[in-house]
Amino acid sequence: MDEETFTLLPLHMDPQSKAITSTSTSRALQEELATLNSLHRALLSLESPVPPPPIPVNPKRSANITKLRESGNNEFRKGKHAEAVKFYTLGLQMALGRPPWEPSGLIRDEVAGLYANRAQAYMAMSSWVEGAVDAEASVEAKKVGNAKAWWRKGKCLLEMGRLEEARDWVGRGLGMEGDESDLVALLKDIEQKAAKKA
Amino acid sequence: MLGVNWWGLVLPFAYLIVLVGSLMTFSSMYRKRIAAKSANLAPWFPPHLQKNVYLSLLHLEPAEKSPAVPESILRAALLRRAVEDIRRIIEIRSAKQACSTLLQRGSVGDDLWQRFQRAEKEMEDELRDVVMEANALGPNWGQTIFQSANEIAAGTQFKTRLDEITSQTEEEKEWWEKRRASIQSEFMKEIENEAPESPAKKIGGSVTTDDDAVLVDSASNAGSIRKKKGKK
Repeated sequence: MDEETFTLLPLHMDPQSKAITSTSTSRALQEELATLNSLHRALLSLESPVPPPPIPVNPKRSANITKLRESGNNEFRKGKHAEAVKFYTLGLQMALGRPPWEPSGLIRDEVAGLYANRAQAYMAMSSWVEGAVDAEASVEAKKVGNAKAWWRKGKCLLEMGRLEEARDWVGRGLGMEGDESDLVALLKDIEQKAAKKA
Repeated sequence: MLGVNWWGLVLPFAYLIVLVGSLMTFSSMYRKRIAAKSANLAPWFPPHLQKNVYLSLLHLEPAEKSPAVPESILRAALLRRAVEDIRRIIEIRSAKQACSTLLQRGSVGDDLWQRFQRAEKEMEDELRDVVMEANALGPNWGQTIFQSANEIAAGTQFKTRLDEITSQTEEEKEWWEKRRASIQSEFMKEIENEAPESPAKKIGGSVTTDDDAVLVDSASNAGSIRKKKGKK
């Protein structure tokens, strides 16, 4: 492979921190080195020299995330919505803080549930903006089989009076989810409001 | 019997030699030119930054006081290189179908197809290379490095999308505050305007109660759904 040609980059290593730096001013290179250094730190925290294969997953973190979600659900049922939001946020931090080589499908699943629940808690506090953003994030993580999140963002948009957007959004949701009865009902609501306004 | 007139055949033979000779010259020159042209074609992908970083680290001269690059950094760099390879493989796979269809229809030139095929071949070599390097850096790492890289690539893409979505929050919040304030002031004005007239307008009054009923209805509706969904 040494016959191959490559561009020798002006790289330096800090002897103490082992961080790689470069004198080059290229922005792409600087960003790449930053990611490289953070990946290196993540690798150093492992016991094995190389990252383990994605499956099986270390069950500890999954258990913690589930626990946080359960606590959030409990607070929500008791009506302490702000507390519930806190638990969901902690769970989200934990889910997104997984080492990058762990299965991304798992991250998507966990994140989708947590965002959907947090959206619900925000909606209970009438924070429509946060609710809409969280519901959209949940849909981004899991597009199909996530009718709750589709419904929640539609509802938030409706509450904010953004009828056009709400109609588009719920229409897209119906395309993804098939004829989900809640979504159909919400669409009807939106149409009624729009007709009244016109 | 074999009295062939050799002298009479000189002319035809000379003709044949000249003909074949000129054809061969033309063909070899033509091929050379094509080869030179395809060698000058722009590569499909931009320079492989991660690969350059890895190889540069591998060739980093141990300076006076700094020790040699530890293997863990090389592993991280190789993993970054594999992630970029995954991205390129996905790009090639998704482009292949479109490219061959366009070529069959004649919408794109031969050049593009040649560039594409060269990129494909380079990718194959690159993958083999990475697997070899991985096996040198860790026992049997070559079997799993691309699995890990695949997850990293997918996870990073997902997180950037998520960041895009969540970064809207501030902007949206500002908009909503303004909007709510304007709705409230309008509402107050309406109340002030309507207050003196309301006894005279009975129909108007009934309409507002109707409105209230609808509101309550939708709220209770939402409550039922929420309860149903909250039980998950």
